[in-house]
Amino acid sequence: MKLSILLASALLCAQAAQLEVWPAHLCTGPDGAVVAADRAAAKPASLAYPAARAGYVSFQVVATLRAPGEYSLELAAAPASGLQVDVFREWYHRLNRPQAYYPDALVPAAMPYHSRLPEPDNRIADQKSQAFWIDVWISREARPGEYPVSLRLKSAEGDSEVSVPIRVLAAVIPDRDVVTIDHNTYGSSWIGGLYPREQERQGGDFYRSDAFFRLIHAYHRIFYEHRGAFHQLGYGHAGQVGPEFAPALEGSGRNKRIASWELFDRHYGPLFDGTAFAATRRGPSPIPYAYLPINPEWPASYLWWGEPGYEAEFVNVVSEMERHFREKGWTATRMEMFFNHKKRYMGFPWDGDEVRFPEDNRYFLEYGRLLRKAVPPDSPVRFVFRADVSWTMEHQTKDLAGVVNLWCAGGGILSWYPEMARTVKRRGDTVWFYGAPPGMSQVSAKIAESPLRAWLWGIDGYVHWQTVEAGPDPWFASDGGGLTLVYSGERFGIEGPIPCIRLKIQRDAVQDLALLDSFKSRRPLADLRSEAARRFNGSRPEDWWSQRPAIADRPAMEWTEAEMSQASAPLQQMLRKTAPDAWSNVHAFIMQLAEEAK
Amino acid sequence: MKPVLLLLLAAAGAFAQPDHFARELDEAARVASVMLDGDLCRQVVTPRALEYLFRSDPRDRYLAGDNYEVNHEAFNSVKKTLIRISRLVSFPADANLWMPIAGHPDKIRVVIRNAHEMSQFWPWGALYQDMIPEMKTVLETGRRLTVTRKPGWISVLAPVSDSLGDVVAVVEVATQQKPDTHENVK
Repeated sequence: MKLSILLASALLCAQAAQLEVWPAHLCTGPDGAVVAADRAAAKPASLAYPAARAGYVSFQVVATLRAPGEYSLELAAAPASGLQVDVFREWYHRLNRPQAYYPDALVPAAMPYHSRLPEPDNRIADQKSQAFWIDVWISREARPGEYPVSLRLKSAEGDSEVSVPIRVLAAVIPDRDVVTIDHNTYGSSWIGGLYPREQERQGGDFYRSDAFFRLIHAYHRIFYEHRGAFHQLGYGHAGQVGPEFAPALEGSGRNKRIASWELFDRHYGPLFDGTAFAATRRGPSPIPYAYLPINPEWPASYLWWGEPGYEAEFVNVVSEMERHFREKGWTATRMEMFFNHKKRYMGFPWDGDEVRFPEDNRYFLEYGRLLRKAVPPDSPVRFVFRADVSWTMEHQTKDLAGVVNLWCAGGGILSWYPEMARTVKRRGDTVWFYGAPPGMSQVSAKIAESPLRAWLWGIDGYVHWQTVEAGPDPWFASDGGGLTLVYSGERFGIEGPIPCIRLKIQRDAVQDLALLDSFKSRRPLADLRSEAARRFNGSRPEDWWSQRPAIADRPAMEWTEAEMSQASAPLQQMLRKTAPDAWSNVHAFIMQLAEEAK
Repeated sequence: MKPVLLLLLAAAGAFAQPDHFARELDEAARVASVMLDGDLCRQVVTPRALEYLFRSDPRDRYLAGDNYEVNHEAFNSVKKTLIRISRLVSFPADANLWMPIAGHPDKIRVVIRNAHEMSQFWPWGALYQDMIPEMKTVLETGRRLTVTRKPGWISVLAPVSDSLGDVVAVVEVATQQKPDTHENVK
């Protein structure tokens, strides 16, 4: 008798639709099982969600049906005051390598969400499960206490409900981030490529249309909402400037001047005064950084390089820009003079990006002089001279001291030079390092590694060098997403970018770091760093640096790729072992400190 | 009758326009052949960079690019002449310098590009590429050639000679009838 009851119960359970809660760091596939990359971490026995205010707390729910059929997901109750819940359906990307499905793109799902399994648009014949990413925004005004967030799955197989207790702490996540996480991209032609329907609607004037500028602002907004910055470089390697990145010029020599600000102001006005972010949860704020269109061919023609006309054209136009920015009150954004060109692309004889040949530094000195001449010393407009550096960074930071003041350094080589980083920071320069986002088939916590590294190193930020290139078919034949952190929403009827799981995990890490750093008022920063590193992967902060290699004493021209790789090998080896729950462990430490803070 | 006439006139205008582009480009290319100094062009890329051009290392895919360097004075001098040549026409155009590679007759390389980043032949990022038949013809015959291989593009290729009278380079004076100011910002 007992056995038959048990069997009947088991059968009922097996037939019932199921809704399960998963932590943010364990991604699941369309079969409901944890993806290979995250299997090294076990599902926590109990899921607790302490959360600081003015930030997000995230988790996932997975809906599973035994047989194909319709289902719906809904919020079982309205969230408590001060809490807002965003639900996203996770898209399963078919990867080319490994041949597997991984979730990444997050499609906003209005509640209640009605669909069926298999999800028609994701086209996975044997799909049994659908994961949803849940973001809970906790406003600054939310009252500390425990609030359940409940979700209900309904289907012909039955209903299933989960309730996730969110414990709102008194702690408030600071507005300002301790590391700038930048998302870089080049030009605007990719926007037309990602939004063909919108482009068609606008006809030949797409790149001058309001729709185009709305899209640009939407990209800034999505990164801002995820505690990041967004950069669009507006010129090519031989000096071609995209019209919306620069004021239109006219004249030549001493008569060169700005003819029109129209496109520039439509592009940058709402970004520099912050109104582009008015409707965001973080509130309006000017973008922190922006590339200027300055390059060897703009505003001065390279025809006059080395002659009086070059200086005249440069100084005339950059002075006009300074006046315009000042008059508009655009004084919060750091306006970057940055040279991205490489001589291998045959536009100019020197490398602006990643100088390898020391004689190229003389151009930087000259542009530093021109910038000083163009911008009054007491200008409230924040012009900065940025250089992206790698091979010769140790020499450049000495030779260009007082000229360049924003250094974006290759992470591998920067790891050899802790003292150089400290010296440059001490004199007030800004230091970032750069790399690429981890692909979606890497462990989920990998995306948190670079923000943590920047903070452990005591520098200012990290740059994903390319963050909008999702490949020719990100949906059904994905290259792994190693160059994107947002996707076009157009196939889902959204004229704008949609986020992804990696961007969400990165955001959660960045807000955690802001909170963790704020505790330095009551615990030594060195202790906080030590504990964060230990919790992340059992390391010490010094393990995140490499030893200065012997090749650093030889001219960079002589270094081989093998020697350079070898020099950073121990660090890379350590980072290869990052576990899926690495950040979750750091988060637990931060929440522990936050609870103590009350 | 009138609509037909108007259509004919419009069609004639449309056909006349490419002629106008081609004529101006051809004249600029003719001047380029006179103004560009082939001996100086030869000095632009350093022997060291040329030595690396065909080197490959599976562990260092950027070996050739990382070692690409030029003689600044020669580069600047030739580039300035190219800019002046591009200004001979009444529409946006670029004058680009192309050179063959000693020992590799089946290859050609672009050496200097310019501000509109217009070229009918350069696949973005290539240090060298397969010889372009029309350029081979110019190098062999010393005659100018107009190429309209890509729809909407016109390039006039003209020879550049050195002091011995040998054709050592090709100048491509190029335009796009409807310039795409976004495509080349990469």
